[in-house]
Amino acid sequence: MPYTNQAAALIHSVKAVGERLIAANPVELAVGNVVRRVLHIVREEDLSLTTAAMAGLNLSAESDDEDDTDRDNHPALSAAAIAAASRSTLRPPSLQTLLEDVPDSAAVPHTSSSGGDSEGKSKSADKSSRSRKLKHDVIEAVNELIQDISTCHELIAEQAVEHIHQNEVILTLGSSRTVLEFLCAAKEKKRSFRVFVAEGAPRYQGHLLAKELVTRGLQTTLITDSAVFAMISRVNMVIVGAHAVMANGGVIAPVGLNMVALAAQKHAVPFVVLAGSHKLCPLYPHHPEVLLNELRSPSELLDFGEFSDCLDFGSGIGAPLLHVVNPTFDYVPPKLVSLFITDTGGHNPSYMYRLIADYYSADDLVLERRTTSGN
Amino acid sequence: MADSLQNPKPDISAYYQTRAAHHAVVTSDWLAQAQSAVSIQTNDDVSSGSDGRVAPTGGGTGGDNKTFSVIDEFNSWRKQPDLAEAVAAIRALAAVIRASQATTMMELEIELKKASDSLKAWDATSISLTAGCDLFMRYVTRTSALEYEDFNSARYRLIERAEKFGEISYKARRIIAMLSQDFIFDGCTILVHGFSRVVLEVLKTAAENKKHFRVFCTEGRPDRTGLRLSNELAKLDVPVKLLIDSAVAYTMDEVDMVLVGADGVVESGGIINMMGTYQIALVSHSMNKPVYVAAESYKFARLYPLDQKDMGPALRTIDFGVPIPSKVEVEKSARDYTPPQYLTLLFTDLGVLTPSVVSDELIQLYL
Repeated sequence: MPYTNQAAALIHSVKAVGERLIAANPVELAVGNVVRRVLHIVREEDLSLTTAAMAGLNLSAESDDEDDTDRDNHPALSAAAIAAASRSTLRPPSLQTLLEDVPDSAAVPHTSSSGGDSEGKSKSADKSSRSRKLKHDVIEAVNELIQDISTCHELIAEQAVEHIHQNEVILTLGSSRTVLEFLCAAKEKKRSFRVFVAEGAPRYQGHLLAKELVTRGLQTTLITDSAVFAMISRVNMVIVGAHAVMANGGVIAPVGLNMVALAAQKHAVPFVVLAGSHKLCPLYPHHPEVLLNELRSPSELLDFGEFSDCLDFGSGIGAPLLHVVNPTFDYVPPKLVSLFITDTGGHNPSYMYRLIADYYSADDLVLERRTTSGN
Repeated sequence: MADSLQNPKPDISAYYQTRAAHHAVVTSDWLAQAQSAVSIQTNDDVSSGSDGRVAPTGGGTGGDNKTFSVIDEFNSWRKQPDLAEAVAAIRALAAVIRASQATTMMELEIELKKASDSLKAWDATSISLTAGCDLFMRYVTRTSALEYEDFNSARYRLIERAEKFGEISYKARRIIAMLSQDFIFDGCTILVHGFSRVVLEVLKTAAENKKHFRVFCTEGRPDRTGLRLSNELAKLDVPVKLLIDSAVAYTMDEVDMVLVGADGVVESGGIINMMGTYQIALVSHSMNKPVYVAAESYKFARLYPLDQKDMGPALRTIDFGVPIPSKVEVEKSARDYTPPQYLTLLFTDLGVLTPSVVSDELIQLYL
């Protein structure tokens, strides 16, 4: 029995660790995304092993014992049909599977475990090798995922020449490693273009980006955030990084980007978002301005020495008259985004659901949703 | 026999007759308290409903030598007020399988095709009837491709699945209600148009989850569907306010989201729903309010209306309370088409979808 439930046990322990990781920093959605990706990998690997075992079982059942097929819930179904049905549980529900009777997730592990039992009667050695194989396959697939995430910058940067053309003016805000590599990749391919960098108050990471771009030999112009609207008419394309991409194609991005997106829309400038696929979050934004935001220290905005009188808790009504709010993120609605460039290519905002269906299992979304709604 | 295939009342669509019949059955107790004008309307509805019942039976006796009519079967199923039309269609097709003398899958498929065609022809205005027939036909063709040991077990399985479909449709409503809970936040105001069982289920679940929200119901002239919904919501102790249909723009600034059901979801991702949905969607779009649609996935239909008049209108009678001179024309269509750009998200049993996903699902199934 412990062998047949190995995948379930693995999923359970990954979930337990994952929940703690997510609770540690609920604003960093990438953590939850990666946990879900790993869970999806476990499910997928388990399924491919079960399907393989089922095919073997079918052969043996035909040859000697009838017992096996009788114990099965659906005598009319062949093993191939069961495998097809269990494959469909990994896919998100669709119109195709609406009439087929597999919505019970409990039904599938049951048939697979009964398959495992009867198989165990004959060869128990084979079973333990199967469980070892599952672990091995999962580790391999997770390593692949790690590889994918660490190379996503390069994969995105490779597409730079398709999007940046000669003598264009590119606008960006703040600093993002993906954007930096994207611009440099175009430069390396002998494209000459100019970059406007909005400084990205209050952390002024745009200054660092401008410095970095200049050392790489790019023609760079630094502007204040408030000058974006004034400069946007000269710009051919806005390219920015993202903190997270939500399921509806909306973007959680560094503060100030919603303003840039609105300016870009006003002047019909394409607004392009670069994001690795690990930033793709299968949740829908509910009150993203509040729930998915991080409020940082006021010290980034002003100098305590000078403003200490205004911030005094002891004065007057017991609360300071001056409040400082310093949010980290903006929510950019999907209608303002022209294109997403991920490591798998360029996508429309309305196509995000398709990528989500590829990367995540439907079961994991529901579980995680409960934990995220808790914060 | 040819006569029995005709809709008994060509000036009122069969689709609308069912709605009216359901309407009268469920709310007669409540409507009795309403004004005399309303009670006239009710009587009218009941008579049209019973007309609809009588005529197909006549058709059944006319075709007595055949002893079985799929339309009879369908009508008996759809008299049940809690049963969706697509479910009734699939149940009726299951009855065809049961009555069939076919000995091969091919024969059975041809027989089913004939039955579903005659069903669709009998009421061309009902979208979910067409969608339900198409879905089941597709399932039959796909399953026969799957390897079954013999014809009888395949046949048995088809009947079993069709009979379970009522359960599936009920479960779909539950899933939609669960999925949409995240979108209803404390203190929000929801504008609802028309009477939809899914929408009611969503609001009921939210109330059970102790969410604090307020509902604005449009009156829904001339069916007064909003009155019925507000009545149901008042039973749940949900604060509810009735609006006349023309007050939508006036109240929109107080509204946080618009929630509507759908008669059908078309391939573009737009919806076909009760008359007035389009203008509400336009108003909320211009005021930047989200429009959510709650609809079961078996309402996805292979239609692509290009504009409002592209669909055959579902006609109905409209009671203005005063006699209308015969020279005055009356717009009698019961529903309109809302294009996808005015919809924010669709809550379906397949998950929360953007309108563009709908075409994807349909293509996957039918291509």
